[in-house]
Amino acid sequence: MTTDNDHSPTATSLGRRDLLKGTAGIGAAAALGAGGALTTFARPAAADEESLRKALLKYPGVGQGTPGDAEWQKVGEMCLGATKASVKPGEFKGVELTFMGLNNQNLHNFLFRGFLKPWEAYTGAKITWIDLAQADYNPRLQQAIATGTVDFDVLEMGAPFEGDVCGKGLASPMPDWVAKQIDVDDLVNYLKPPVGTWGGKRFRVTIDGDCHTINYRTDVFSDAALAKAWKDEGHAGEWGVPRTWQKVNEVTKFLKGKTFKGKPVYGYLDQPKPWGGFCFYFVEDRATGYVKMPGDKIWLFEPDTMKPLVNNPGWVRAIQDIVDSLPYEPADQLNADPGTTAFQQFLAGTGSLLSWWGDIGQMANTSDSSVVGNVIGFDILPGSEELYNRKTGKWEKPAGGVNYAPNMAYLGWGIYVMARVDSDSKKHQAAWSAAAHLGGKDLSLWTVMYPSGFQVHRQSHFNIDEWLAAGYQKDYITGYLDSQRNSYNHPNFTIEPRIPGIFQYYSVAEDELTKVFARKITAQQGADNIAAAWEKLTDKIGREKQIALYKDSMGM
Amino acid sequence: MSTGSLSSPTVLAASRAVSRAARGRALILIASLLLAALCVTQVLHNLGVVGAGFADWRPIALAYLLWALALGRGLVLVRRERGHRALFLLPALLFTLAMVIFPTVFGLYIAATDWNLSSLTGVHFNVLGNFTTMLHDAFFWTALGNMVWYVLSVLAQYAIAFGLALLLNAEIRARKFFRVVFLLPFMLSPVAVSWMIGKSIMEYRFGPAATLARLLGWETPAFFATPWVARASIMAMDSWMWIPFVMVLLLAGLQALPHEVAESAKVDGANPWQAFWKITFPLMLPVSVTAVILRIIFELKLADIVINVTAGGPGGATDTVSSFIYREYRDRSNVGYGTMLAEFYLIIIIVFVSILLSVVSRWLRRVT
Repeated sequence: MTTDNDHSPTATSLGRRDLLKGTAGIGAAAALGAGGALTTFARPAAADEESLRKALLKYPGVGQGTPGDAEWQKVGEMCLGATKASVKPGEFKGVELTFMGLNNQNLHNFLFRGFLKPWEAYTGAKITWIDLAQADYNPRLQQAIATGTVDFDVLEMGAPFEGDVCGKGLASPMPDWVAKQIDVDDLVNYLKPPVGTWGGKRFRVTIDGDCHTINYRTDVFSDAALAKAWKDEGHAGEWGVPRTWQKVNEVTKFLKGKTFKGKPVYGYLDQPKPWGGFCFYFVEDRATGYVKMPGDKIWLFEPDTMKPLVNNPGWVRAIQDIVDSLPYEPADQLNADPGTTAFQQFLAGTGSLLSWWGDIGQMANTSDSSVVGNVIGFDILPGSEELYNRKTGKWEKPAGGVNYAPNMAYLGWGIYVMARVDSDSKKHQAAWSAAAHLGGKDLSLWTVMYPSGFQVHRQSHFNIDEWLAAGYQKDYITGYLDSQRNSYNHPNFTIEPRIPGIFQYYSVAEDELTKVFARKITAQQGADNIAAAWEKLTDKIGREKQIALYKDSMGM
Repeated sequence: MSTGSLSSPTVLAASRAVSRAARGRALILIASLLLAALCVTQVLHNLGVVGAGFADWRPIALAYLLWALALGRGLVLVRRERGHRALFLLPALLFTLAMVIFPTVFGLYIAATDWNLSSLTGVHFNVLGNFTTMLHDAFFWTALGNMVWYVLSVLAQYAIAFGLALLLNAEIRARKFFRVVFLLPFMLSPVAVSWMIGKSIMEYRFGPAATLARLLGWETPAFFATPWVARASIMAMDSWMWIPFVMVLLLAGLQALPHEVAESAKVDGANPWQAFWKITFPLMLPVSVTAVILRIIFELKLADIVINVTAGGPGGATDTVSSFIYREYRDRSNVGYGTMLAEFYLIIIIVFVSILLSVVSRWLRRVT
């Protein structure tokens, strides 16, 4: 670990006057007074941190419109304290870094540019940006890996790709000073190792947490007329938010043809159109309640053989549920991908149930494109009243009546530094300093509150008072944070394997599923086709190595 | 002696010419051998057979450029004036060799491998493995079947374009303005068309086209949810973008027609339909055939709109071969198989277009 210390920025040579520059300089100065070693003043003092966090939330404030580059730069400037405490002004002058990331919804790299602009001005480093659309990201990354042409120093990447990148030795292990600066212990438990690590080394600066939750319209599910119609039609139980997939299907069928506030109302929104592999996560949402057994990590592949489980009766039932549900959803639902369901349908007022990442809760109140505001509630994904036991091959009644299995879909975005910077100590420091800036604890508070594409991922993000200070309503934000926390901490959550080519598995499944959803083949045939294609893919990638990496990634 | 003194300069000149030619041949030979040696070494290096070699292929590209220079110089030395003339052609020839011929041939090699970018075991030669997979790949054949419909839609595009070309060739008001306006769709990129038309105007909830369809009695105007409607919608968008291209070609043909023939027909009492069907249309056949064949070639490459609007769905109903290859390569990193599909499709296009040209030229000879 001496290497880490050797590579750490020259904190002790930093002048007191320099430290006092900037919003968080006070905190850094206080820390310098306490010691002098880098690790002692990597983070501002508690009181200053609190005031900094309060100040951050005002840019621009909930209900004040969508924040843009001015806010991003301001937030980047305000959160520069940790960098100023560890790097001298202009210390990285002459260093040029290439940063590859996404441009989804004009966020991600656009945000990073704003956040890093003050960092560039302060450190003297220059960043060149490679912006990629979601769909182009995977092939660009895969090509770079396969052809040995990694032409970027810092990478925004999802944990599912760690097998491709970290497993092949292309990433730089995180120095200890970075782990301390970004306070890795603050991460929620499920994002702690093995996620973000490979071969026992930590690689990822976590900037996002992921899980799918159910988003529902509180006004629809509290409507008296619909409640009466529900009773009149003889449905069991009270009209309310469905907590099982069986009820979700029933509600979706019930709402077909009904109106709410003068407009047609719909129930659950499925995502049948391929979306570069991401569509499969939504099939998983429906399947995990049926197939994920408590106390058993396995739900996608048999660990000893990589035999796919995707065509067992539990999965087939989930696929069939979608087929049965689609006729009761909007007429064009077959051409709806996840992006459409979230941004063109749910946030625009169509549909009353949607499983998605945490973006919905952020954007409903902070994006100009949302019309639904505070009439959204949140919960963990629905469960199932029946559970398929893969070991016995039989359907069972789950203990407690309902089997819940929240889906930690994608495991969140992270910042990774590539191994190619390791040979240049100055570049190594600069790259990790930039990554640490983006992964800072305070900065992350802003990203999880405002449109960013990132959702809560630290324990410190669950302080409701901070959300209230930003302008969120208590009931709304309590429900939102509870849905995330209860998913993250659920004893039966599902973690996907971080194996090479995982999105190839998902993509080939999407293609087969389109045939099922268009009713060209049955759910069982489609699932069998997916299983056969996955077997071929595993052979092509290398079965034995894939099995080893699968077990490694699942911590088995 | 006198003969000798007369012949000596000739002999010397001939000797110098031979010597120059020999130097030229030697230059070409040495440069070629060096290039070949470097290529072989680099291939062996990449295969792990020998240690010597470069980190990447850039030095080989540089060596190719140097070889090209040596070849040019060598040709001048060997062929003198004819060599100089060859220099005009050589850059284009070598560029085509490097940028068209070599990638195509190299593609055949890749098509015979199982190269997947995520593979942990590297690239393996699998001979006809990809070809066999392709023969049993329902997605590929569905996409190829769809191409038949897309190609047939070119005939409808041609008919509409011909009508518009006749209209714009007539003495109408603001003719120049309309010519520019009708060209506008062709100036848009397919991605823009996908979003403007497919994802906005034809959007189910708020799209003007959907609203109009509701007013006309179609209660659920979902343009991309059922196979035939989705396919027709893609064809409509594609046609909207490409009809101006065909129209411009036909308009140019119409403007080049001799006016005397049409006027003679009018004098002889031909009505407008007879004048069109018996005179204008036959005279326009060569231009029409060119326009339709060009359009078919473009149509066979249809991908952008499909990728953006439907991703090939529903259930593969709108998939094209190109959009399927795109998914195979982009989403699944299947370089070997994707290349096999691309090479096979290239062959199909070459064969199809060759047959089409042959049949059409025979037909043209018969009717004109």
